[in-house]
Amino acid sequence: MEVKRSGKSKKPVVGVYWRKLIFMSGVFALVFLGLSSVQVFKADSIGIDLGSSGTGGGYVDASIKIINIKIKADGSIYINDKRSKYRVNPVGSLEEMRIPVVDNVNNYFSRVTINVELPKDIASSIGHEELLVHSVGSPMTFIPVDANHVTFIASDVSPLATITPVITMPKGTINPPLVVKVLDYLLQFTGIIWVIIGISLPTISLIFMIFLVSYKIRRQKMDIPKEASSFPPMALPPALVGVLYHQNVGARELAATLVDLALRKNIYILDRERDFAFAKNKFDSRLLSFEKILLSKIFKDNIFSNREEIEKRINNHLYSRKISLVTGGIYVLATRLGYFSVNPQQSHRKYQALGIFGFFIGVAGFIFALRQFPDPAYISFFWLGMAISSLVIATVARNIPIRTPLGQEALSSWLAFRNFLASSEKIPFSFSNQEVFQKYLPYAIVLDCEVSWARRFSEHGFEVPSWYMTNQTGMGLQEFCLSLYPIVSYVGRSMAAIREPGFK
Amino acid sequence: MELLKYIIDKIIYGGGIVFDLAKWLIVFLLIVLIINTFFVSVFFVDGASMEPNLHNREAILWSKNSYHIRSPQRFDVAAVNAPSDPTKKKYVKRVVGLPGDHIEVRDGKVYLNYELLSEDYLASDLKTTFDGVWDLGADQYFIMGDNRPNSNDSRSFGPVEKRFILGKAIAIIFPRFRLIKDI
Repeated sequence: MEVKRSGKSKKPVVGVYWRKLIFMSGVFALVFLGLSSVQVFKADSIGIDLGSSGTGGGYVDASIKIINIKIKADGSIYINDKRSKYRVNPVGSLEEMRIPVVDNVNNYFSRVTINVELPKDIASSIGHEELLVHSVGSPMTFIPVDANHVTFIASDVSPLATITPVITMPKGTINPPLVVKVLDYLLQFTGIIWVIIGISLPTISLIFMIFLVSYKIRRQKMDIPKEASSFPPMALPPALVGVLYHQNVGARELAATLVDLALRKNIYILDRERDFAFAKNKFDSRLLSFEKILLSKIFKDNIFSNREEIEKRINNHLYSRKISLVTGGIYVLATRLGYFSVNPQQSHRKYQALGIFGFFIGVAGFIFALRQFPDPAYISFFWLGMAISSLVIATVARNIPIRTPLGQEALSSWLAFRNFLASSEKIPFSFSNQEVFQKYLPYAIVLDCEVSWARRFSEHGFEVPSWYMTNQTGMGLQEFCLSLYPIVSYVGRSMAAIREPGFK
Repeated sequence: MELLKYIIDKIIYGGGIVFDLAKWLIVFLLIVLIINTFFVSVFFVDGASMEPNLHNREAILWSKNSYHIRSPQRFDVAAVNAPSDPTKKKYVKRVVGLPGDHIEVRDGKVYLNYELLSEDYLASDLKTTFDGVWDLGADQYFIMGDNRPNSNDSRSFGPVEKRFILGKAIAIIFPRFRLIKDI
């Protein structure tokens, strides 16, 4: 229903449900801010210089500090016999240990000795660097002790000091575990490669799902009729035809139900300047249960419901149980008629469950990568790609055909009727044809051909249906369509957006 | 078994709601990630070493991709991983020396390749302390704070390799907007 209304300004059909977007953006912002603290970059000044005079400012003189570092063959690093979070990392053609062993510890040390045990007898071939920040009395001394031991010594270390010994070893000194090797390998990929992977994953998923859907469609071997049938194959509520065609209850099914209810004189649709409303006429006993629930959603206990009231009823909910009951009722009827062996939503459940699982894994991996990998964490694009792929799977899976042979046969007949509705041939004018347009309009809506259907009558004189009340005078068919379609489309979309997403 | 089925149904049903809500965030996440990873981010200045140009608690907008496209340029204000603790500390300093440069600090002045370096971004009466001489390697940069008497920088921890330089500061966005190139 993409007919745009000219002249009159009805609220545009919104493709995104802003209420959910804003709600979840708020939740996300809280989570994101909670997980990632605001970055602070130091304009690092010298600080309090205690010089070489030893203690000062009330700091404790801890005198001598000895730190024993052991580099294991797998690259893990033990500090004073405890495994640390640091490890030896590959840097270009070397392997590097870089550990801030003293960092702002609030104690004055007259001497800090750092003994390092190397994984191999390579003391003569290592490179070393001594990084001293904030008030260390003298340059750090490096002393090779024996083939696999070296020592760094710093003196007059202030409470604010940072001491970082750096040792670079020849490539191959360390033999890290397989997981670390793989991670190191992956981290060598450039950002553009991760972006390509992040884009490729959803693309491959989409292509795979399209192939899967095509394969399943081919296996169903449904006859697509070439000829047109000028009558509906059976008396069926438009919403059921819609679910047979789309395998899903969406905006079109709800919109068509509204038009059908109006045709059956249950409701009036009121078109007012810059506004619309619905009014109750009569409730007959032949109303189906899902139709009754839909009407109760629109009117609640009133007999008249304008746009403001309808929007209030819709916008009061992130999700509506009533709309879920409406869609559930349509699915149940379609299943009882034998068009589906089980509820269409339920049969897509495994794909949706897979999609949900993949989505949450992707989001968790994304957050983990952002926090754990060095900035910029390009690897997070992989996880983002995975999350989007999962969305693709969950979304495209809805199109996998699940109709029974009876459902395929019924759909085949309805497609023949669709050929008639969508034909480009004009329908000759006659008084009997005057009613045909509105009679089949709900079917045209659910079969995605309401515009083509209206075009077939473009050469007709047009009389506004009695169920459609407008203050416009001399309304032609085009004006009628440009007035009606946005109203029912807007209400249908709004209601479809608040259906509960549970997969019962 | 009935209970188990009931619980699984509830989990999947609840998962469906969370999934439906969360999918709206994908767009938001994607935009945030792309901007934050490839383009710009914000940090707060902590300290006085960039006075009088950057002040404590000012919010700085910085480009993360500048140095993927081209190397750091002389006098850029750069975000740098602290070589002494690259996983935890980040500095904001000015790039003064480029690879291959000969840097000398003497008598309160900086000499670049044996010629006096003109630094109009410094306070007029400011002297650069901590004399020394550094010959930069092929991948080394010499970074200094603008508040020379009170800055921990390459004069104390030596030149930094390019891998430690994260990006380029573009503008001060809080409390008053100014482009870094204008200061």
